Amino acid sequence: MGMLFSYFKSLLGTREMRILILGLDGAGKTTILYRLQVGEVVTTIPTIGFNVEQVTYKNLKFQVWDLGGQTSIRPYWRCYYSNTDAIIYVVDSADKERMGISKDELFHMLREEELNDAILVVLANKQDIPGCMSLKDVHQALGLEALKNRTFQIFKTSATKGEGLDMAMEWLANALKNRK
Amino acid sequence: MTDSKYFTTTKKGEIFELKSELNNDKKEKKKEAVKKVIASMTVGKDVSALFPDVVNCMQTDNLELKKLVYLYLMNYAKSQPDMAIMAVNTFVKDCEDPNPLIRALAVRTMGCIRVDKITEYLCEPLRKCLKDEDPYVRKTAAVCVAKLYDISSGLVEDQGFLEQLKELLSDSNPMVVANAVAALSEINESSPTGQPLVELSTSTINKLLTALNECTEWGQVFILDSLSNYTPRDEREAQSICERITPRLAHANAAVVLSAVKVLIKMMEILAGDVEFCNTLSKKLAPPLVTLLSSEPEVQYVALRNINLIVQKKPDILKHEMKVFFVKYNDPIYVKLEKLDIMIRLASQANIAQVLSELKEYATEVDVDFVRKAVRAIGRCAIKVEPSAERCVSTLLDLIQTKVNYVVQEAIVVIKDIFRKYPNKYESIISTLCENLDTLDEPEARASMVWIIGEYAERIDNADELLDSFLEGFADENAQVQLQLLTAVVKLFLKRPQHTQGLVQHVLSLATQDSDNPDLRDRGFIYWRLLSTDPAAAKEVVLADKPLISEETDLLEPTLLDELICHISSLASVYHKPPTAFVEGRSAGIRKTLPARQGSADEIGQEATVIPNQESIVGDLLSMDLGATAPAAPLGGPAATSNIDLLGGGLDVLLGGGSSDISTAGGAAPSTTGLLGDIFGISSSPSMYTPPKTCWLPAEKGKGMEIHGTFSRKNGQMSMDMTFTNKAMQAMSGFAVQFNKNSFGVSPSGPITMTPLQPGQSLEYSLPLNTTGPVQRMDPLTTLQVAIKNNVDVFYFACQMPIQILFTEDGTLDKRVFLTTWRDIPSANEVQYTINDLNGNTDTVSNKMVMNNIFTIAKRNVEGQDMLYQSLKLTNNIWVLLELKLTPGVTTATLSLKSRSVEVAPYVFQAFEAVLKNC
Repeated sequence: MGMLFSYFKSLLGTREMRILILGLDGAGKTTILYRLQVGEVVTTIPTIGFNVEQVTYKNLKFQVWDLGGQTSIRPYWRCYYSNTDAIIYVVDSADKERMGISKDELFHMLREEELNDAILVVLANKQDIPGCMSLKDVHQALGLEALKNRTFQIFKTSATKGEGLDMAMEWLANALKNRK
Repeated sequence: MTDSKYFTTTKKGEIFELKSELNNDKKEKKKEAVKKVIASMTVGKDVSALFPDVVNCMQTDNLELKKLVYLYLMNYAKSQPDMAIMAVNTFVKDCEDPNPLIRALAVRTMGCIRVDKITEYLCEPLRKCLKDEDPYVRKTAAVCVAKLYDISSGLVEDQGFLEQLKELLSDSNPMVVANAVAALSEINESSPTGQPLVELSTSTINKLLTALNECTEWGQVFILDSLSNYTPRDEREAQSICERITPRLAHANAAVVLSAVKVLIKMMEILAGDVEFCNTLSKKLAPPLVTLLSSEPEVQYVALRNINLIVQKKPDILKHEMKVFFVKYNDPIYVKLEKLDIMIRLASQANIAQVLSELKEYATEVDVDFVRKAVRAIGRCAIKVEPSAERCVSTLLDLIQTKVNYVVQEAIVVIKDIFRKYPNKYESIISTLCENLDTLDEPEARASMVWIIGEYAERIDNADELLDSFLEGFADENAQVQLQLLTAVVKLFLKRPQHTQGLVQHVLSLATQDSDNPDLRDRGFIYWRLLSTDPAAAKEVVLADKPLISEETDLLEPTLLDELICHISSLASVYHKPPTAFVEGRSAGIRKTLPARQGSADEIGQEATVIPNQESIVGDLLSMDLGATAPAAPLGGPAATSNIDLLGGGLDVLLGGGSSDISTAGGAAPSTTGLLGDIFGISSSPSMYTPPKTCWLPAEKGKGMEIHGTFSRKNGQMSMDMTFTNKAMQAMSGFAVQFNKNSFGVSPSGPITMTPLQPGQSLEYSLPLNTTGPVQRMDPLTTLQVAIKNNVDVFYFACQMPIQILFTEDGTLDKRVFLTTWRDIPSANEVQYTINDLNGNTDTVSNKMVMNNIFTIAKRNVEGQDMLYQSLKLTNNIWVLLELKLTPGVTTATLSLKSRSVEVAPYVFQAFEAVLKNC
């Protein structure tokens, strides 16, 4: 019965899933958003503000919010937290120096009560750049092993080449479907 | 439970509801919610707390929703400056939207968001929009540059937006051109230095003129307004601009018409030299202005305010259109009053009959304000159009007979002005005025009446009683009336010292001891001290001659008028105030003014006239009779003479100057004469022709004192030679003399020091004169009004000065200078006379003339005719050049006179003839 119900639910697509793409500036959030939406690499400029697009993936409708990562904009992330189903946190794997800041921002965000139930996907982006950190290094640098009570997964991606995104979305779609 | 429950409310409230609706997934619900937010905003509720939620609705493909969110943003971005940054990315995206309407909407909204933090992010999108393929986006972006300039002028200059704007001036789309022009003029106006940042060149002007015919009416206004700020290189360009603009005068939009009028008037200033062109242009200007008066009253009012300025600047344009300014019964009062004002400005001898009959009609209407203004207008007509004064006064008298209280009061106020304009002409009506004394209840009317009583105290038998009756309620009077009463009583006392001493003491004590008004006290003390220390001085101060008033007193000051003409069709021209006076936060900048015209000096002279008149306003305001005693420069006097002054002075400079020193010191430097005499090889101590004495004051008018007199000039010293004869029974003493202001500033060098005159005795007295007194043009020019006082009374008479006494000893010119000056003076300033019964040849004439300071410059013989070239200079530096043409053996000769001040010619000719015949 439960299976049947969830099947109908997914068929009707009753509700748009609300997803936030966050991360430091220059991590590749906007590129990922448009890769997901139109399947192409668009030239982007730093996002002062936000982008919002509708993305359909495997019959699931996502309302994806891409928020600017500049220091001046980060304080306003919290305005977007409520009713969020999932967070895609993008990290620039080649930016070793700012990995610490990235970690701080991530944990600062996860402390928010509104995001308690949100699924987390971490994308170790820019894997195409030579000399970047491996998936394991990123996992460690962000201190993800400390996460408890959170559905989360980390993927290595290259938004410009389009690698790894499908896998991440697939996982996210399943995770959202299986959510009680 | 603790008391904290009172602070936690369970009610979520409207804002919370709206917030959740804004976050609804359904687009329709969202739109509804935003509409609710906008509705709350427009009624003044603070919905700024919803800022992030509304901004989140911004990225939508629904144009309606987008517009609503933009509206919200424009309103609240300022209150949420930090959060406003979240909107930037959407603007950037919208500026690249495929839909030009959205691009334009985004760029327009961006310009309205005045948040410093985000302006720098908006430059890039703006730059793109300025180059947009769609003209609608370009024209919107052009205006946005002006808005951005207001927020951050540095940014606009650094980012090169000004250059981009300039490029838009040559855009293929006329709407874009119009908006670019509007943006540029706004930027130029707010430029901190006052210097325009972007100058228009001839080629851009041509593009503007081309765009003018194609763009919308408001675009045309922008283009015309910026054309009015442009100064053409030469007359040809100005003419071509005029020709291309003239068709705009036929436009249906009043703003287009007025802006076109503004440009044309400005160009006429440049083209002042081309009289014919200006005349045709003037003729074209009248019909559109008249047409403006057939629209609704509000537009009429604006048009009338502008016409009021135009009429002051160029009276000729509408001089034949008097009738359209006649008041209609159903005009609103503001239109009526304005029309009345213009009627007076247009009043001239040609139409005065018509105007007066209209005004008389108006004076019987019901609207009190209008009636008052109409009555006042009649008075102004009397002052403006001299030949009509008589009729105006009789009209006013008729109106006084109506006994309508406010009409009578207003009439008395204007009659006071008429008295001042035409002294000794209409005083016969004083008795009529006095009849209405009791009905006056307004301060201005009472003050006017009191002034009249004081001024003519000697003719009003019961002046003392009248003033006394006013004094009873002195403390309750308005300050204006109190001041007038004080002055009037003092005047009365000075004129009729008998029996009025008590009165004057009473009023002085009222003014100085019982009054709190410092003005009144001060004036009281001044009079008191004057009267107690030197009654003669008091007389000089209090009873001095007042400067004549003229109609120009209500004209705008010329520089202000010029500035306002540049602002025709704006609020400034309706307020009649420069924009700096009422636009807040406007940088002082450079005030607009009309281009300098290349007119003749006559016009400069005319413009200068208002200044002395303002002096008289001040005199009026203070109602002190001190105005006349203000030291007036010998030549800096009122209207007509200032004209002469400019010309005389100019010529003086032309001739190498320096001579004025000699002329003023003329009397004290007889050696100059000697020197000149030597040069011309004649004996020194030349004796100037002195006309025989004539009777100036017959014994019957002088209460027994008879005066015969004449004027002479010896060794550079002018004097008034008089024979006093005492035909009365008692001795006369205490002689004193005073001159009224006159054309040449002639005044006594010192007091009369004459021994008492016994009955039957005759005494010769020669009064030395100088020309440093106050100047006022007289008609005829050589009239001198003299007052002579003795122990019996003061006597007044007028006499004519022979003009040769004003010829100075340094009136000779170098041949070359003579020649160039003769050529420079326009031929319009040449006057010819024929002399009959001439005896002698050029030498005898020359010798006679030189004794009278008419110097021969050269002699020539042309085809059997002797030509004699001569020059002379008047004490006020007016040069007169003469050419005498005579044929030996013939008694008729022709005398040609040339002078910049041609009005002296007849007098010079008279003198010339008198010298010829009598020497």
